[in-house]
Amino acid sequence: MARPDQVQDDQLRDLFVEAQGSMRTGQANEAVKSVVRALYRLLELKPELTTEELEPRPGWKMPFLTRWPQLGANFVEGSLAKHEPKIEFVKEKFALSEAITYYEFTLETAIKRGA
Amino acid sequence: MKFGLFYELQLPKPAGQPQWNPEDEHKIYHDMLDQVELADSLGFDYVFEVEHHFLEEYSHSSAPEMLMAALSQRTKNIRLGHGIVLMPPGYNHPARVAERISALDLLSDGRVEFGTGESASTMEMGGFEVEREQKKAMWEECTREAANMMVQTPYQGFQGQFFSMPPRNVIPKPQQDPHPPLWVAASRRETTMLAARFGMGSLGFGFETPEELAERTNEYYRIIREECYPIGHAINPGLAVLTTFMMGQTDQEALERSANGPAFFSHSLGYYYNPITGGKHQPGEKNIYDSFLESNKKQNTLSAKTGFVKEEDIRKDEPEEEVQRALYRAARTGTAVGTVDRVREMLLTYEENNLDVMIFVAQCGDRKHEHIMESIELFGKEILPEFKERHETNHKAWREEQLASVDFPINSSI
Repeated sequence: MARPDQVQDDQLRDLFVEAQGSMRTGQANEAVKSVVRALYRLLELKPELTTEELEPRPGWKMPFLTRWPQLGANFVEGSLAKHEPKIEFVKEKFALSEAITYYEFTLETAIKRGA
Repeated sequence: MKFGLFYELQLPKPAGQPQWNPEDEHKIYHDMLDQVELADSLGFDYVFEVEHHFLEEYSHSSAPEMLMAALSQRTKNIRLGHGIVLMPPGYNHPARVAERISALDLLSDGRVEFGTGESASTMEMGGFEVEREQKKAMWEECTREAANMMVQTPYQGFQGQFFSMPPRNVIPKPQQDPHPPLWVAASRRETTMLAARFGMGSLGFGFETPEELAERTNEYYRIIREECYPIGHAINPGLAVLTTFMMGQTDQEALERSANGPAFFSHSLGYYYNPITGGKHQPGEKNIYDSFLESNKKQNTLSAKTGFVKEEDIRKDEPEEEVQRALYRAARTGTAVGTVDRVREMLLTYEENNLDVMIFVAQCGDRKHEHIMESIELFGKEILPEFKERHETNHKAWREEQLASVDFPINSSI
């Protein structure tokens, strides 16, 4: 189960609630912006995420944050490698499905990490 | 729990040969028709067929609407599922999708399941000039509008980000009211939750364990009840997952018949969907089956030689990343491989966790048509009836409880 009320940190939880509200009213751009702010807050709370790695196949490692959906709010090239993740908006308009995808990924990551 | 068959129409090249034999494609198309006709006669509930383009050996199913049309005339009850239609307009204009879905619904007397998706392989997106960063937004816009086209008389027209058209009456209209049940392909957890928010069935490609499924099912139905804003005009609550399928009189016989099916499925999928190698495929040249045979020597995949891989051993080494994990599990889990007793026992664990639909990957890799036919027959006669009975009594009651507070119209065949 992944719901905002499972998030420990007040500020982070508020950002998810804000994103949820925007999604309910169809404001996808606003929702994506709230989720990006939530991601930054999560990285403040759990800085180890910036160095965490996945091993999709034996011997092939990649930063965990490459799982962040590349749907237009993308990491600045090279920022993950420097462990200083920074998001840039490469398009102006987001669809609701994109906002939901960002929301679900970030909320689940936050809850799994106990943030 | 209901049951279906899933088709990629895999066609490995013969080992050591640069090309297929001239009759190979003709044979898998007609074999598939025979298999589904048999499944229909035994009471299988669904067939889902993919749409893929240019993915040699992995999938030769680029025109599923043609096979579905043929099946509509050779079957009576089985539901005909697109698993899925590629919705970005570079692949299919939404009006053409709406027309084809509705026509098939009429031809099949209302048996269509409208699965949708966005595609993920570089070979396909590059071939049709679909932009990776926009494909999800394209999927959403085109799915919503295709549903509108099936309902509105006339369709009011649309000025969108990815396609526009003036008011037209998009005809024919489907037999099912307001439109066939909507599904979306979900290879990641977040897409399953997206399905719930949009009131769509989730066609899962994750080869999930029963425990994961329990968590996903609870969350999916909670979202349906509490946070759903439907993309269509009726919702289709439902979770479907894939598993590999092959039966035999003994476990060893089933494993031998399973052949290199699951491992090749996983290998060829990984080959095309790997972001680094996927786009470098040399069309018409490579023999993927040869490279699979070479690489598979070192793997503990499901096979007659290795036997069933224990679940604890699978979990010990499985990758963390969700899609890689699905590929890994696809090659190793034998949920529906084995004797009647083994397969029944494995499937009961999914039924206990309230799975709506289990979809079998029978046709894959180098498996033989006659073994697939025998498996379908064995399952249909020995296992399916008891699950059908419990579906009608227990699972439908469970679904009614889950959906009791939902106000949206529901069009679901589950």
